[in-house]
Amino acid sequence: MKKRLLAVLLSAVLTAVSLTGCASSSTPSTAGSNSNNSSTTENDKTGSDSKGTGKAIRLVNGKIEIDNQLKAFAAAYKERTGQEVIIESLGGGADINGTLKGYLATNNMPDIFVFGGEGDYQTWKDYMADLSSEAWASQTDFGFKDSAGKTVGFPYAVEGYGITYNADILKKAGVDPKSLINYDAYKAAFEKIDSMKEELGLTAVCSVAAEAGQMYWSTANHIFGYYLSAGLKRDDKTYIDMLKEGKVDEQRLGQFADFTKMLFSYSDQNVLISGTYDDQLALWAQGKAAFITQGNWIDPSLPSYNATFDCGIAPLAFTKEDMPGILADCPSWWAVYNDGKNIDACKAFLNDLATSAEGQKALVKDCGMISPYKTCKEIPETPLAVSLKSYIDAGNTYAWQWAKMPEGIASNATGVVFELYAKGDIDKDGFVKMLGQAIADYVKK
Amino acid sequence: MNIQLKRTFSLIEIILGLCAMAFALYLDFTGSESSYRGILLVAGLILAVAGLFILPVKKHRAIVNILFLLPVLLTFFFTVLNPFIQGIFLSMTDWNGIKFTKFTGIENYITMFRSGDYIYSFLITFLFTILNMISVNITAFVLALLCTSKVRGKNFYRASFFLPNLIGGIVLGYVWQFIFNKVFTAAIAGSQSMLTDPNLALLAILIVSTWQYAGYIMMIYVTGLQGVPRDIMEASNVDGANWWVTLRKIKIPMIANTFTVCLFLTLVNSFKQFDLNFAITNGAPSRILQGKAILSTEFMALNIYKTAIAKNEYALGQTKAVVFFIVLAVVSLTQVSINKKKEVEL
Repeated sequence: MKKRLLAVLLSAVLTAVSLTGCASSSTPSTAGSNSNNSSTTENDKTGSDSKGTGKAIRLVNGKIEIDNQLKAFAAAYKERTGQEVIIESLGGGADINGTLKGYLATNNMPDIFVFGGEGDYQTWKDYMADLSSEAWASQTDFGFKDSAGKTVGFPYAVEGYGITYNADILKKAGVDPKSLINYDAYKAAFEKIDSMKEELGLTAVCSVAAEAGQMYWSTANHIFGYYLSAGLKRDDKTYIDMLKEGKVDEQRLGQFADFTKMLFSYSDQNVLISGTYDDQLALWAQGKAAFITQGNWIDPSLPSYNATFDCGIAPLAFTKEDMPGILADCPSWWAVYNDGKNIDACKAFLNDLATSAEGQKALVKDCGMISPYKTCKEIPETPLAVSLKSYIDAGNTYAWQWAKMPEGIASNATGVVFELYAKGDIDKDGFVKMLGQAIADYVKK
Repeated sequence: MNIQLKRTFSLIEIILGLCAMAFALYLDFTGSESSYRGILLVAGLILAVAGLFILPVKKHRAIVNILFLLPVLLTFFFTVLNPFIQGIFLSMTDWNGIKFTKFTGIENYITMFRSGDYIYSFLITFLFTILNMISVNITAFVLALLCTSKVRGKNFYRASFFLPNLIGGIVLGYVWQFIFNKVFTAAIAGSQSMLTDPNLALLAILIVSTWQYAGYIMMIYVTGLQGVPRDIMEASNVDGANWWVTLRKIKIPMIANTFTVCLFLTLVNSFKQFDLNFAITNGAPSRILQGKAILSTEFMALNIYKTAIAKNEYALGQTKAVVFFIVLAVVSLTQVSINKKKEVEL
């Protein structure tokens, strides 16, 4: 009997040991779930320790480029207010939505998280706190509003793009960048620079990359974005609404196709059909091309190419009529998790980042971004940011309606059409027809 | 202690234990933050197990055996069976990675088989699998023959052929992308990158895949070839068999089971090809098929990944994954059973 009792105890202990693992997984776990992000620092460790106390707030940032700057600001913020903020940056190809979904499933949701527009909003709308009553909400046009008009997304930067030019080359060629606001001006400029390629030391006029596997975002999101909203008022949704119904305006798309064809034909052909972002950027930043179809996000990369030339952003003006503005909007927003332990602390932190002098300095000077806030007094210093700021100040911007396209359409449906067009496999009519068909098919699914 | 009392006592223990476990699970599902629920669950389980253990029945020994298997069984259930069953369930809902709102039955399966891109990636994956199986196995077998022959420095060859397999697929993919885009175009002046033509891009993936995987398969062939009994080889030598006859009539039949293993491995590996596909082409270049533009090298694994991640259609991605599993299981089991028949029993 004694032996048997011992055996019972022993087996009980064994099962208990083997099961504690399962049992603890049902309680909120924090330590092990950070495995797949690219910038986990020792901060995260303190995060899981202090989470239970509800004191530190945790922010998941989607821009890995500003990771260090945000951490510095968070440290300074802690010194000023005593509130600890843990910055966790994802990016560099990390699947942010997937990671966040994992966090939610393991009950480890950050207090503030990043989301990238309409599609993400639909996924996460049940988890966002209402931020309409915050002081910053009335100081910006770029807050993300839900269908009822409530602000749920905190804007932290504005980005803009178009056809970015090398001002030094344009000057030598005698082209005034301010004149580049319609199709004919571009045609004249491209022809002129093309004829002077030798003396300017260029290999091509433009640096464009249209490969469907890696560069679909540049062609089918960014460049195509001009078709959707260029020349329209910021709240004009004509063409995006048409696209959502699977339709395109063939006349407008035709003009767009003409311009794209011209852009492609003046581009370096190797970069165009097989180049990566790095190839595209290198060609332009080394002064071998006059134009590049990217935006102000290339500012921080310029020093690594020792690019000392002056540059600016011009509109991708594909119409015969003048199109003086560029596409500028928030690439992503921050939302406050509505089931978080410390919503007030989150709100205070965001308010400080948006409205305090330190916060504005951190966003503009340290991160090199354009502040979306009218009250911001900091002035950006990098050349493209300055150029972008002039458009914003003049009110010459169009919204990023392309961010409202059905999710994955660029990588799965429309990017390939741009590649075919770039390779010359289809002509203008084929491009218009095929793009319309691809959109119709994708929307129908 | 009389039997009746003992039985009652152990039954009470089991029931109590089960109740405690049920209550703990109930607490967990209703989102209670009580930290006792874990302890309650374990305590309930211990109670139930202890009750089962002292239950006076004839099958006592069988119960003990099962109890000792319990830790492994539970682990297997939680880590293998549970996700699998959940996956099949989720494929029949409108799950978006967070939650689902309705049960849709086989709607996802219908959508999937109706979408042209899926059918295309199905076919291109099959094509790739067949080509890759052939090229990897032929290369590996030839290399293995080289490495078991009397050539000098064969250990060095073995190590260097095996080396590519140690590099991660993503890194390798980007390195080779650079080679195809820059080095080859520079070497053959004026040529366009292989990755811009649909057929050549498939060939490019095939080259890299063979380069990476042949060394690994070669090692298995080497082991097989070394296991061929020396006396048989000597006997064939005495009988005057030349190299070719020895290879065809003795070596290959003797290592038929090695072929089974290698073909199985390459089949599964090429069918599941993801990292090289993702890094080298990510689906590009584009191809016109029936008047529509499609991604020409999007294999099934990449198609599933893109469905879930890029399109944010997790349920549809899960559906594709379930079908992927079934196809893979059927194909590889058939292949193994065919090959098994050809093996020579030693």
